[in-house]
Order: sequence, then structure tokens, then C-alpha cells
Amino acid sequence: MAANTNTIARGEPLLSCRGVCKRFGAVAANRDVDLDVWPGRVHALLGENGAGKSTLMSILAGRYRPDGGVIRVRGAPVAFASPAQARTAGIGMVHQRFMLIESMSVAENVRLAAPGARDADIAALGERYGLSVDPARLVADLSMGERQRVEIVKLLMRGADILIFDEPTSILAPAEVEALFSVLRRLKAEGRAIVLITHKLDEVLALADDISILRRGRVVAGCLTLDQAPGRRELARLMVGREVLLSVEKPPRDCGAEDETVLAAQGLSGLDASGRPAFADVDLAVRRGEIVAVIGVAGNGQDALARCLAGLGGGTAGSVAFAGHEGGRAMPAARWRGARGLSYVPEDRHGAGSVAAMSLAENALLTGQADERGGPLLDLARGAAIVERAVRDYRLKAESPQAPAGSLSGGNLQKLILARELAAEPALLLAEQPTQGLDLAAAEDVWQALLDLRSRAAVLLFTGDLKEALSLADRLAVIFRGRILDVIAADDPTAIERVGLLMAGVAAPATADGGRNGTGACA
Amino acid sequence: MWADLVFLGQIAVKSSVAVALAALGELVAERSGVLNLGVEGMMLMGALAGFAAALTTGDPWLGLGAAALVGAALAGLHAFFAVALRANQVLAGLALTILGAGLSSFLGRSLAGQSGPRFRPLHLPWLSDIPVAGEIFFTQSAPAYLLYGLAPLLWYWLFRTGSGLRVRACGQGAASADAAGVNVARTRALCTVLGGALAGLGGAYLSLSYTPGWATGMTGGQGWIAVAMVVFAAWRPLGAVAGAMLFGLFQALQFWFQATGQELVPAWLLRMLPYLLTIAVLAVVQGSPSLRRRAGAPADLGRPFAREG
Ligand SMILES: Nc1ncnc2c1ncn2[C@@H]1O[C@H](COP(=O)(O)OP(=O)(O)OP(=O)(O)O)[C@@H](O)[C@H]1O
Ligand SMILES: [Mg+2]
Repeated sequence: MAANTNTIARGEPLLSCRGVCKRFGAVAANRDVDLDVWPGRVHALLGENGAGKSTLMSILAGRYRPDGGVIRVRGAPVAFASPAQARTAGIGMVHQRFMLIESMSVAENVRLAAPGARDADIAALGERYGLSVDPARLVADLSMGERQRVEIVKLLMRGADILIFDEPTSILAPAEVEALFSVLRRLKAEGRAIVLITHKLDEVLALADDISILRRGRVVAGCLTLDQAPGRRELARLMVGREVLLSVEKPPRDCGAEDETVLAAQGLSGLDASGRPAFADVDLAVRRGEIVAVIGVAGNGQDALARCLAGLGGGTAGSVAFAGHEGGRAMPAARWRGARGLSYVPEDRHGAGSVAAMSLAENALLTGQADERGGPLLDLARGAAIVERAVRDYRLKAESPQAPAGSLSGGNLQKLILARELAAEPALLLAEQPTQGLDLAAAEDVWQALLDLRSRAAVLLFTGDLKEALSLADRLAVIFRGRILDVIAADDPTAIERVGLLMAGVAAPATADGGRNGTGACA
Repeated sequence: MWADLVFLGQIAVKSSVAVALAALGELVAERSGVLNLGVEGMMLMGALAGFAAALTTGDPWLGLGAAALVGAALAGLHAFFAVALRANQVLAGLALTILGAGLSSFLGRSLAGQSGPRFRPLHLPWLSDIPVAGEIFFTQSAPAYLLYGLAPLLWYWLFRTGSGLRVRACGQGAASADAAGVNVARTRALCTVLGGALAGLGGAYLSLSYTPGWATGMTGGQGWIAVAMVVFAAWRPLGAVAGAMLFGLFQALQFWFQATGQELVPAWLLRMLPYLLTIAVLAVVQGSPSLRRRAGAPADLGRPFAREG
């Protein structure tokens, strides 16, 4: 499709790129990219995983140097040698992975970016934009949403007027997304220019004034205004280069034979990584042939619960049984670590899920080598085969199985980890936020893979995305402040409403038929 | 008895000054994210340069200045490898220690055994007359008083000023500091050089005050104690000085047992204690998640920083 340039006069763009190129070795991350960003407008930048969105934005923020092209800010050409210079030009970026120092307080982090900011200033600014965070708190203690607020405060404190957000909503709960959007609207109304990277069409339609789409490093649609934009389906097609369904078909649950319980937790309590109580009294059972979603707003103890169930420790009381084997009492699940039949897809794909300096093939072998076929030697061919299957089945974009994992874009790394865990043919797949940061097509592939797995195994899904939970799961366990408030069958007609309320901590009155501990309908 | 204790205290403080100065220097470098294991080598070269300069000029203060310059120059070498070339910091630091030991022993051959100017105990009005505490802390030589001033100053700089915040950020999260506009490479290089200057001062204290004169290998491992004290103090300046004083106390006890002939605690145990204590502190801090979070151990210590992959 030819680049579609907008001609409506709206003055000088605050920021404009012409012909920007960037290569990483053999990979061309950006090719000949043109982009214009106007004051008082939100420019949505869309594109599949690995399209080059983050790279382009890192160039604008001074982190990478472009190999070619011109960047103009307020009409004057600029060549940033460092983030400091981009900052001086008024460009600020909230990265996909936050740039905060965890062992320092909020105020110290803000002062690092904006010297001289006083605690009172930070509080006042937070008040004004609805971004309040206690300046004295340690960043390590903040939720993801709060950390994001700190990042925004940092930008505003130093008066940035071109604000770049790289997938800001992928780590937020629905309520937090709404709060972020009202902040963005407010910034827009003040005449600042905003670039928003996202994979979610709803967000684009709700917020964007202009839309550009990247594919394989090139602009395939440039600066469409919202009214020029094609429908959702066409937008999605432009983003990923193929037809996407935007929904999945969930086949009815087949529970003909035995109702085999794969994982059962009873009265499970435990601590989070910093040793504070995170969840308590959790009763949860997952059977073969079903998908159970644990859903909750981030920071309600679900990450600690997932780690504990995956056998990474943290449990203090209660018991877990896995595939008929009783776990210990004091440290439930500790013995499942590496157990055959349990696969774990952690939320932190960079830290817990992969080793950046190791090759893709080696990363593909990090788990699942403990089985009898393994032997003492590394079966690199098997690793390469897993990578190649991911390239084929999930459209993983990678140079070769020998490329380091650190060179993958966020979404592609997630595809690799999923392919690895699915290759082990587990009895239970425990997946935390498996589609966070994935583009539409990839998310659809993952959903399909989970539904396929459902016919052979049990799936325990941890997610904050209500839509995802409702379209995949048979039962939804709502977690709030470390407790499972209720388990609701997904086909319960009142499910959406009740889950929404429960996520906010409002206990809904049980319905007549009592969807409690809903067993899930059988076909 | 009382007089004995005061005497013991005096010796303890006297024995701690070199370690304390070097530890403060290493602390600044490590806070910025650079591990410099060349402290021992920089102290040796500082000791030699300080003594040689004082001998030729007759002024111990000029000796101190020369030692700081030589220490800074050697640290500059470390900064060149570790920061500019992003070499392995452990290897570069070890090489620096070996270089300093070899070079000082070679260059110092003609100076060994000579006697030259030195810092003498300096009586301070008021302070030195305070009973016990004054007698222990304020009957020392000038470099000790320098240390008393320096430690709180460094604390104030690191924890209460903007540039100190930037230094700590380079050690805690270089990428975040870079994104916030801090020049990580320059900050780290400057901190390393400052650390080297302090290590040089520590060495010169040995050759100009503690055991005046030059002898090959005269630091006797105090540079390594300084590195350990930084960890012991959880990267806090006042803690580092306190740790150094503890080390001094163990030294003083050794002398005392030697002099009185009664060995209540074996000397080998006393020599081991600084290291044992460091390990104990590490174990306690690492064992408690909440302490670990607050300990201030620079997360990016020893990790070269590069922006572009
Ligand atoms: N530091 C790097 N070294 C080598 N290759 C890289 C590096 N960073 C990115 N790439 C490659 O450049 C391409 C674009 O990556 P980029 O991170 O910009 O994608 P993206 O559009 O942000 O994708 P996602 O939606 O998954 O975040 C990818 O093919 C990626 O593998
Ligand atoms: Mg990205």
C-alpha cells in the first residue's frame, strides 16, 4: 500500500523524521521511515512484533543513533548523541522496560532526571495530573502502574513536550488504563505531542488522532487521521500483514472420560519475593481438558501465587498436589521444580524467562532438558528445531537460531518462550500474561495454541485481561488482596459483570443457581 | 588500666587511617559502578611517591599531594580500561595491583631504609584536651584529621547533593541513569580517579606517619582490607570509617599482646577477623530480603555500560 500522506494543514509538526534508517547487523530495524508528530495530537504507532517501533522511538529519544535520515524538532535538524540531548530538545520517553532505579526512592528517581525537583513539587505535579505517588516510597515497593506514573512525572518535571509511550498499557489493569488515558488526554489538551505505541485497536480508536503503521521496518501507512482510517479489520490487516479474526472460537469442553485433576492447591498461603505475605488460603483445582484463569488487577498477589504453584518457593502453609503426587506441607510445590509435565511461562520474559546473552537455540533448551532423552550432552539440534518451529507456527522473527536472545523484540521473545514450553508437551501449562505485548496475530496464535493444548492437558492462565480470560477460560478465579474471592464459570451470563466487580474487591451477591465453584459446562 | 585503654584506642585509630582513606576512595568508585581491585597497588605507589616527594622537598604535605596525584594517575589507567574500553574490571584491577607492587618495589630500591620528613602528632586546642575521646582521636597526625573531615563530607555529597545522586545512579542502574541524561562514562571515570587519589593518600599516610620511610610491600594487604571494608560497610562512608577503626583495634590488640607477652586472643585470629566479619555482614544482609533491598549494594557494580547493542 502506498504511503498515505495527510495534507490537512495543521501547522508545523513538532517532530518530524524523514528517511530514518537503522540496522542491527544484518537486521534492518528501520528502513526509510517518515513520521510527523503535531502538538496537541496523539500519534498512534502500530505494527507487528519486531516491526521496529521501539527502535524508531529509541532513536528519537537519543538512545540509538540512526544510520541515515533526518530528524527535525520544531523545524530544526537535530542529531542526538545521547538521551541527555534529546531531553534538552524536549523529547521524553517511557520505555517498554522502565528506566527506574529500584533501590532508590521515587523522589530520588525524579531528581535524577529533573535536578532540583523538591518533594513538594513532585506531589503538586502528581496532584495536578492525577499521577500521585508518595515521593518517599522506594520504587521496588511500587506496582507497575505506580512505576509508570513515576516515569511520566519524570518527563513532566523536566518539561518534555514530545512524549513517547512504548506499550504503556500492556502492564496495566483496566482501571489503570482508564486513568492513564485521562492523563494522556490532559497532556494533549495542554498542547503536548504524544506518540503512543500499542497493539490494542480499542486504545487506538479511543485516543489516537493520527495513525502510522510499520511493518518490517517500513511505513506501510503513514499519518492517517482517525476519520481516514479504515475499519478495525483493515487496520489489523495492515498491522500484521494478514487477515486476523480478532476473536477465537472456543470449542465446548469435552469431559467424557475421567475428570482427572492435574493440580490441586489447598489452603495455600505464601510470601512474595521481598518476604511479605502475598496470598492466603488459596483453594484451586485445575483439571485436564480445561483452562482456568486466575484474574485480578496487578499487585494482588497473583505473581507470587504463580511462582509458588510453579515450584519456585514462597509457600508457607497449605498443600499442593500435582498429578496425584502430594506436595510437602511447609514449602508446597517446591518439589515440582523441573517436574516432568509442568511448564511455566513467567511474566518476566527478560529476567526469568530467558538469558539475553545465550543463543535462541540454547534458550530453547533451558527448560525441559531434564528428561530421560536429554543425557549429559546438549542437543543443540533439538533447540534449533524448537526455534524453527516457533518461526513457522508463531511467525517468530529471528535472524537464526544462533542469534542471541537479547536481539529479539519483546513480543518475539515471548513467542520463543511459549514455543519452548509447549514443545515439552506438559500435563499442565502455567502461563502468566502470555499475550502481554504480543501483536494481534501473535496473540491469536497463542490463544489458539492454548485452546489446542486444552484438549490434551490442563492450562492455568494468569491474566489481567478480562477479555482474554473470558474468551479462553472455562472457569475464572478472581484474586483480590491475595485471596480467591470466587470461582465463576465463564458461560455464566452474568460472568463479565461479576468478575469485573470482584476484581475491584466488591463481592457480588451470589446468583440464584450459584455459579460458585462453577464446574464449567460439559458438552 | 584506664591509661592502657586510652593508649590502645590511640593505636587503634592510628592503625586505621590508611585503610579508612583507601576504603572511602574505593567506596566512591564502587558507588559509581566501577570495581577497582587495584587499591593495594595504588596504595603502594602512593606510599612510595609520598615518601620520595617529601624526601626531596622536605615537606610532608607536598608528599601527600604527590601521592594523591600518583594514585589518581594509576586509577586513570583503570578507568581507561574499565570504563573507556569496557574491559573486565576484576582483571584490570588485579593487573593494577600487580603493576603497583612491582613498580614500587623497583623504583623504591634506593629509598629503602632512608629516613625523611614525617607528620607528627598534632595537638589541637580544646579538642585534644577532652578526656578519653579527645586523647584517643585528637592526638593524631594531620592526615587523620583530614579523614575526620572527609568522611562526613563524602556522605553529604553522595546522599544529599544532585551530583552524588547521579553517582549512585550510575552504580545502581546505569541504563536508567543514562536515560535520565547522566553521562555515565564520565561520572564513572571521575569517581574512579577520585578513588585512586584517596588510595594514594592512604598509602602516603603509611610512609609519612604510621611507619615512616619506605619498605617494599609496606602496605601488607591493607588495600585488600579496604576493599573488604566497603562491603562490610554496605557502601556507606561512615560505616567504612567505623569498619576501618575496628580493623585498627584488632591491629592494636596484636601489638598490645606482643608487648605485654600475654596472648588472650591468638594473633592469627585477629588478622582473620576483618575478613570473617565482612563475610558475616554479607551473610546477614543477603539473608534478609528487606535489608538486601536497602543495603545499597550497587546493582551494576563491575558491569561495563554500553548504550547500543
Ligand atoms: N539491540 C539489538 N540488537 C540486535 N537486533 C535488535 C536490537 N534491538 C532490536 N533488534 C531487532 O530489530 C527489529 C525491531 O525491533 P523492535 O524492538 O524495534 O521491534 P518492536 O516493533 O518494538 O516489536 P515489539 O512489538 O515486539 O516490541 C527486530 O527484528 C529485533 O530483533
Ligand atoms: Mg517494542
